[in-house]
Amino acid sequence: MSALEFANVSKSFGDVNALINFSIALEQGELVSLLGPSGCGKTTALRIAAGFETADTGSILLGSTNIIGLPAHERRMGMVFQSYSLFPHLNIRDNVSFGLRVRGVRNEARKKRADEMLDLVRLSDLGHRMPHQISGGQQQRVALARALAAEPHVLLLDEPLSALDAKIRVEVRDEIRRLNRDLGVTTMFVTHDQDEAMSISDRICVMNSGVIEQVGSPRDVYDNPASSFVAHFVGSINSLPKGNTQTLIRPENLVLTTHDQNAQWRGAITDITFVGAFTKISVRLENDDAPISVLAISTQIDHNIAIGLNIGINEAAQ
Amino acid sequence: MKFFGKIWPRLYIAVAIVFFVAPLLSMARFAFQRIPVISLGKDNLFKRWTLDGLFTTLRDPEFMHSLSVSLKITLFTVVVLLVIMVPTTLWVHLAAPRWRGVVETVTILPYVVPPIALVVGVSGTYRSIAPWFLASNYSLVPFYAILAMPFTFRSLDVGIKALDLRTLVDAAKSLGASSFRVMWNVLLPNLRTSLINSAFLTVTVVLGEFTIASLLLKRTLPMYMAQAQGREPQGALGLGLLILVLTTILFTLVSIIRKKDATSISSKNINGGMVP
Repeated sequence: MSALEFANVSKSFGDVNALINFSIALEQGELVSLLGPSGCGKTTALRIAAGFETADTGSILLGSTNIIGLPAHERRMGMVFQSYSLFPHLNIRDNVSFGLRVRGVRNEARKKRADEMLDLVRLSDLGHRMPHQISGGQQQRVALARALAAEPHVLLLDEPLSALDAKIRVEVRDEIRRLNRDLGVTTMFVTHDQDEAMSISDRICVMNSGVIEQVGSPRDVYDNPASSFVAHFVGSINSLPKGNTQTLIRPENLVLTTHDQNAQWRGAITDITFVGAFTKISVRLENDDAPISVLAISTQIDHNIAIGLNIGINEAAQ
Repeated sequence: MKFFGKIWPRLYIAVAIVFFVAPLLSMARFAFQRIPVISLGKDNLFKRWTLDGLFTTLRDPEFMHSLSVSLKITLFTVVVLLVIMVPTTLWVHLAAPRWRGVVETVTILPYVVPPIALVVGVSGTYRSIAPWFLASNYSLVPFYAILAMPFTFRSLDVGIKALDLRTLVDAAKSLGASSFRVMWNVLLPNLRTSLINSAFLTVTVVLGEFTIASLLLKRTLPMYMAQAQGREPQGALGLGLLILVLTTILFTLVSIIRKKDATSISSKNINGGMVP
């Protein structure tokens, strides 16, 4: 039995079909990302699970119970939002214990649980502070602690990292993964950022225009994309002519050659971008307008290559 | 140029102070000096000051009656307005943003409809179907609620706009809070300043309203003061000054609370005793 299951859920807003026959099952303790461009229906799916939107058709099973008619406050879904959603009038500890307070848990037990949760997100010193007195990254960690303190059936994360700057984003991302593993809480994570989805998920559900394109492990989705959309959305990919057709090859699966006269493709280097461990080399193929990119390990690049150089390209041996 | 740049603002302030304070000081001399108006001059500036006139008025049973009527009407008006306007404004923001313009227009009607038209229209209607309503002092409450509606709506509207209302409501609900809990434990505490503001603005509207009370022949405080000016002019003016001072104190308190809320939002102080 799955922890959370969407069964043929559809939802439209006026003429727009936000979600079409959306079906996915999350196993207990699993972290599944809904990944897709904005407007693909990922947030709608999450809000339907939380009870903030109603589905037009279909059902949502929590264990074996259909919760489709249950109001949001009776679903016990812990939710973290993109914008910092801490209650401005309560200090950090009272924010964390809010869910227990509305459930009528006694003061002492509430305080104890809040301190445990703050400890878990490593913010135990900040219990007495007000939300405006802590940083954005800390606020999101408190929001996580607050959602988890109420012992939710499922943790729903709606682009929780989008408002954070790059370094903090990675920290909070790792924190989410750690909490998911340590506590075994089933987690649904909505994001439009493929790196985020790749690094955090047990499985990724790639969505487009209200439809699931592919569900699989990050490795699976990357190596064996089920559609051209998935191939282009997850990671970058080149479309190269092969006989009469086009073939899709990831930049890191191409190698440059200066001496092989029988290379599969030939072209001129138009740009070289050094990005640390890797270097991205753009090549414009003969008889082709769109440049393709080749990703090479920086330390292994031939010193002769330069912009304008004619070069051969081969598909790397797998 | 620099000289003028400095002198002009000061001059303006000085003129403004004279404009506002001079009448108050003259009022104070008239109310609290036992000297016939005709003989008031420079040489008797500090002579025969007394609060007797004011005390006579304060001891007048008519005064106590009108004060109690006004205070009761004020209290009811504040309650009625908040009970109507808080849910309405929240509803407009949460569920029906398209209706915000309509609600805003409705709230400024008292600026458009003159009080006399309001009273004639409403009293004409009630006189035939519920005459007892107009006979009661509390018949002023709905009129005053309408008069104070623009202030209440605007104050609440500004307070709500400053919150990320949708996310706060969703967050509270996902944590298990019912709609009542969301309102009581999340929204009202965060709208505290707005609520206090609109309540005090309502108080000043009600305590200063004369036209409607006079048309409906109600013995409110402003009505009493207008009549007392004929009988005991010094006492009535003394009372006017007293009310002015009290409202000023009230507003100072409000702005202190407002400032305190504002600093608690902007402060980066770590151990500033911010625990509510």
